[in-house]
Amino acid sequence: MQRVEHVMGMPILVDVPDDAVDERVVDDVFGWFRWVDRVFSTYKSDSEISRINRGELEVGDADQCVVTVLGLCEQARATTDGYFDARASSPELLDPSGLVKGWSVDRAAALLDSAGVRRYAVNAGGDLVVRGGGWTIGIQHPLERGEVAKVLEVGDLAVATSADYARGRHVLDPHTRRPPVGVLSVTITGPGLATADAYATAAFAMGADRAPHWTARLEGYEAMTILADGSVLSTPGFPGAA
Amino acid sequence: MRKAITAVVAAVAIGIPVADATAAARKVVTVTKTVTGTQAQASRWGYVQVTLVVKKTTTTVGTKKTVVRKLTAVRVPVYPNHTDRSVYINQQALPWLKQETLAAQLKGNVQLISGATDTSYAFNQSLQAALLAAKKV
Repeated sequence: MQRVEHVMGMPILVDVPDDAVDERVVDDVFGWFRWVDRVFSTYKSDSEISRINRGELEVGDADQCVVTVLGLCEQARATTDGYFDARASSPELLDPSGLVKGWSVDRAAALLDSAGVRRYAVNAGGDLVVRGGGWTIGIQHPLERGEVAKVLEVGDLAVATSADYARGRHVLDPHTRRPPVGVLSVTITGPGLATADAYATAAFAMGADRAPHWTARLEGYEAMTILADGSVLSTPGFPGAA
Repeated sequence: MRKAITAVVAAVAIGIPVADATAAARKVVTVTKTVTGTQAQASRWGYVQVTLVVKKTTTTVGTKKTVVRKLTAVRVPVYPNHTDRSVYINQQALPWLKQETLAAQLKGNVQLISGATDTSYAFNQSLQAALLAAKKV
């Protein structure tokens, strides 16, 4: 069973190949994403994040999930030398969207796991988690829309890509508040999407001089960086086709 | 500075002999281990430490045991904390990264696309993925 819904400003695809799985599990997954959108959206004026930004809600009084996500944002800021920053667009405005997506997909995956679903994929606007083996994933070619730059054949993995060919999200270097130069896209793979996505965003923001070298130090996560000169730099454990 | 780095890498590299794995497998045991080199002073730049992930495959045929160790990852968890560190890392980290040239790949049976969020385009991708999978039903 496959379902695509537009939630959190992006299409979310849930693919459960086993038709014996109760469809209500997939209902629950989309219910979860809609709840996340209501609480975290910076586009909805009554979301908890919007209320925190207007000074109407204290973080301590917010939903426990908000506290958790803001904690993860802070952690990501520290582990990425400040290149992942929930305040990158403006120091006064909190925008945890960059972490919410990956975190909510990780939680959706946990929901599917606990419902006993063995094989599934959740793709939230190009950042995804797969479980159960036998998945073939294409990494979007940064210059040619209909093409893929890499094919990965994987079992259990989170894959996040940050790039500038898209209009939906502008990645800024939080230190200069300008778009980074020299990097076309960064793909991070590893066990969790929240971390993979934060690392991809951070590495992209670092630009060509720092990104490949920073990714060489990551523990438990692999990276593929595509530079503007057409070179593709991968860490030794980055997955590929079998 | 270069001497120090070479020493660390060489010391670790010695432990990875290339063995013959052509013998018919009777019993195969695979273990993945992470080994960490000692911290080495890199002149005025600070310290460097290298961690390697090694996949060890032991094949036993009768009493003959064959061990193959394959290097699956290289990390640099400790690197010089210096203002010129980017220059330093530029010189030192590049050899650890596999380098290829950007080219469109054969898509084969790609089921999912990872890419940056671009609402309309990503939606098309998801739709395309759904259509592709639908063909196999």
